[in-house]
Amino acid sequence: MTTAIPATSGTVPPGVAAPVPVRAQRGGFGRFLTRRVLQALVVVLVVSVIVFALLHALPGGPARGVLGQQASAEQIAAFEAANGLDQPVVMQYLSFLGRSLTGDLGESYLLNQSVADAIALRLPKTLLLTGLSLVVAVIIAVPVGVYQAVRRNRAVDYWLSTLAIVAYSTPTFFLGMLLILLLSQTAGLFPAAAPQGNGVLEVLSQPAGLVLPVLTGAVPIVATFSRYMRSSTLDNLGEDYVRTARAKGTGYRDVVLRHVLRNSLTPVVAMLGYYLPVMFGGALVVEQLFNYPGMGLLFWSAAQSSDFPVLLGCVLVISVATVVGSLLADVVQALLDPRTRGAAR
Amino acid sequence: MRITHAGRAARLAVGAAAAVALLAGCSTSSGADGAAAGRTDVNYALPANATPNWIVPLGIAGKLATHNSAIMRTLWEPLVAYDGSEGEVGRVAKADLADEITFSDDGRTATITLDDRTWSDGEPVTSADVKFWFDLVQANTDVWASYSEGRLPDNVTEVATPDDKTVELTFDKVYNPEWLQASQLTLIVPLPAHAWAKTSDDEQPDPALAETEQGAKGIFDYLVTQSEDLSTYESNPLWQTINGPYSLTGFTDAGQVELTKNDKYDGDDAASITTVNLLPYTSTDAEVNAVRSGAVDYGYIPTTGLDAPEQYEQLDYAIEPWAGWSITYLPYNFNHPVMGPVYSQLYVRQALQHLVDQEQISDVIWKGAALPGYGPVPQNPESDFLSDEQKANPYPFDPEAAAALLADHGWTAGSDGVLECTAPGDGEDECGEGVKDGQKLAITILTQSGSAETDNMFAEIKSTFDQAGVAVTIESAPLNTVLSSIAPCTADQPDCDWELPFFGTAGSWYFGGYPSGERVFGTGAASNFGSYSDEELDTLMHDSTESTDPSVMQEYSKYGAENLPVMWLPNPVYQVSVIKNGLEGTTQDPLASFHPQRWSWAD
Repeated sequence: MTTAIPATSGTVPPGVAAPVPVRAQRGGFGRFLTRRVLQALVVVLVVSVIVFALLHALPGGPARGVLGQQASAEQIAAFEAANGLDQPVVMQYLSFLGRSLTGDLGESYLLNQSVADAIALRLPKTLLLTGLSLVVAVIIAVPVGVYQAVRRNRAVDYWLSTLAIVAYSTPTFFLGMLLILLLSQTAGLFPAAAPQGNGVLEVLSQPAGLVLPVLTGAVPIVATFSRYMRSSTLDNLGEDYVRTARAKGTGYRDVVLRHVLRNSLTPVVAMLGYYLPVMFGGALVVEQLFNYPGMGLLFWSAAQSSDFPVLLGCVLVISVATVVGSLLADVVQALLDPRTRGAAR
Repeated sequence: MRITHAGRAARLAVGAAAAVALLAGCSTSSGADGAAAGRTDVNYALPANATPNWIVPLGIAGKLATHNSAIMRTLWEPLVAYDGSEGEVGRVAKADLADEITFSDDGRTATITLDDRTWSDGEPVTSADVKFWFDLVQANTDVWASYSEGRLPDNVTEVATPDDKTVELTFDKVYNPEWLQASQLTLIVPLPAHAWAKTSDDEQPDPALAETEQGAKGIFDYLVTQSEDLSTYESNPLWQTINGPYSLTGFTDAGQVELTKNDKYDGDDAASITTVNLLPYTSTDAEVNAVRSGAVDYGYIPTTGLDAPEQYEQLDYAIEPWAGWSITYLPYNFNHPVMGPVYSQLYVRQALQHLVDQEQISDVIWKGAALPGYGPVPQNPESDFLSDEQKANPYPFDPEAAAALLADHGWTAGSDGVLECTAPGDGEDECGEGVKDGQKLAITILTQSGSAETDNMFAEIKSTFDQAGVAVTIESAPLNTVLSSIAPCTADQPDCDWELPFFGTAGSWYFGGYPSGERVFGTGAASNFGSYSDEELDTLMHDSTESTDPSVMQEYSKYGAENLPVMWLPNPVYQVSVIKNGLEGTTQDPLASFHPQRWSWAD
């Protein structure tokens, strides 16, 4: 027979207020949420001001870089007039802000596309790549972490810990090149380049091309998440409710899988929230290595080519993803563990 | 039944192997077998991070990248074609629409008769299509990227079309016919007036519309708008009316282009390869990975690949550096508030040039992927424009000559070993006009980042200069930042603090068919970043375009090599190509264009 143990049934750590029943905290949660959303908006605004100011502090402006060294003075002047670069910086920012509020992020200087279109084209591909990497990583990391905790301080735990540390400290570009060398150029199992088709569906239609980039993206996450999972599981295995469940006759495997696993996932769930900006921002190294045109590369190319509207658009998307991810992590944690609401204040 | 740990592990291993086999089975062929026989396609790697983004053969600023131009030229042939794919830069008549070009006795009229050719929709290519191009460009000089005041179309006073196959261009004065043909007539691309003379999708084309300025502006805007819509490149009917050896049949949002042999092509430059895939790459690393896995037939590798060519030769590739019709240099900022007067002294420029060991840098640092360049005329391939003086290098590497030049003009080493002016004044043995007493010979070079060869080249230059008492500070920044920082300026402007910028990792300046340098070295020219001004050089450049004396270009070459408007540096190749064995007809065009219609697989 098994006994359901509430997720919040652990002991209260010293220095943290005793949990208040959820019903009594509903008003508090609403205020907490409102405050966090407002903070998020301010953060996004401040980030946009800083980035805009930094971009416009660059010497010379973007015209020469965009039009090339053979452009005439008239062409440069026409470019600046057409893109509002001849206006005072404050006016340019206010114009950018006004347009952004209506969803108009401007036109790329180079791509023959609106910034919104450029992002809409690449964001799904990036989310596919980073999302698949994350899913693969979680599927591997969670059982590995739990397994290590259950078999702590045994040979298998040491081996897996060593492996995780090696994976964590291996530079992504090196790992990617190693995988290409072994699995593509030597074994010939998978292509060295990601699929180049239009849209996500066409990319998905060539799954072999996704294996190496997804694997390259997943390995460092597996290393990180498995370490978190291991220590979280170890913490929970020492909790009173585990002893209570065992005393009531619940099997060790049932206690681990039904109770400890759920409670141990809390820090990993929080990590997932913080991973959101990475998912939106793209994985530049993986995208460069596997020829995958995603958000990371869009951002990098825009920075290299002084494509200010695209740079600002990417920064906006990534900063929104950062604050939303952080917000979601806080909210989910607050829902899973009401004690953290007090801490968040 | 109890399953042991070993049993579970075995099951997992079997499951993983099955998944790998399944996914690997989904792997599509990329033409990696390398066997030439029977192949009808070629995979060509576009430059890293260069995604095609333009199609209409009316360039606007920022859209004139070489890969865009090369794609256009496979779809629409120019009136006069120049390239270097036949060993030297010159007209390649089989690739253009002109039959015969003659100049009148007074030198002011060019008469061009057209080949008997048709558009892909069966309509004939006529002189009206040439006139249509003129009408569009004349009304839109403010946006047409190749516009330069006083040049085409400003210098054409009349475009006459006496019959369907003849165009007569009357110029405002006499020009050098060679320059006219190589630099002006090559800009003209006859356009299908019968299909493109409209301002919206629904309108019926009307060639007469282009004859009014308003109509020509409307058509130009319409074509530009259509060209900005990348998603319609393979479906837009406008881009199906072509006369080149290929048609565009595929364009993905990642920038991959598929060109298919144009079965209706009736010119002399017909394609052999049926399908050419132009592959975009996000980085050189990604492209090299594709080369190593055999997915690319014609690609490139970093210069470091020349250290161990066997690694590519084993993969059935031949390595061929692709030299450009270009020059590479460091412009001096003659208006720099402090160093401007120093750089204005010819003896200083001569001394600095003596300190650049071009042969050593080309051989050791660039491993042969750069060739020494001593003057304003590109040296590879050689041409009649090149003077003996430039070829001979007027300022060979000679630190002693450099030291003597500086010492003879009042520069002595200070306590820190850096030379300083101790004899101000403009006498023969003095530092020169504007150079102040105590002025140190300390220069700052702003280089483009991202290239190990460039970094090493300037480390070598710094080392040599330091030993000669010339202090060098090297700063680096991305190419676009370098270009954005170096507009021509005057000493009183706050942004005039740059000294010697380098933007030539793949060559500083590429020429068209005629390598005159008025846009780079002419007084007041937009790309004369350092504001060099020399009356004699201006006259020579003027004469090179307006005189019929063929020796003028050689005089210009000699004068530019001896008077050093810039610091001449080794000229890096456009790229180090790797080409699959069996792929023939790949003579690399120094004008940095590619001509897939001339490629073929060996039997």
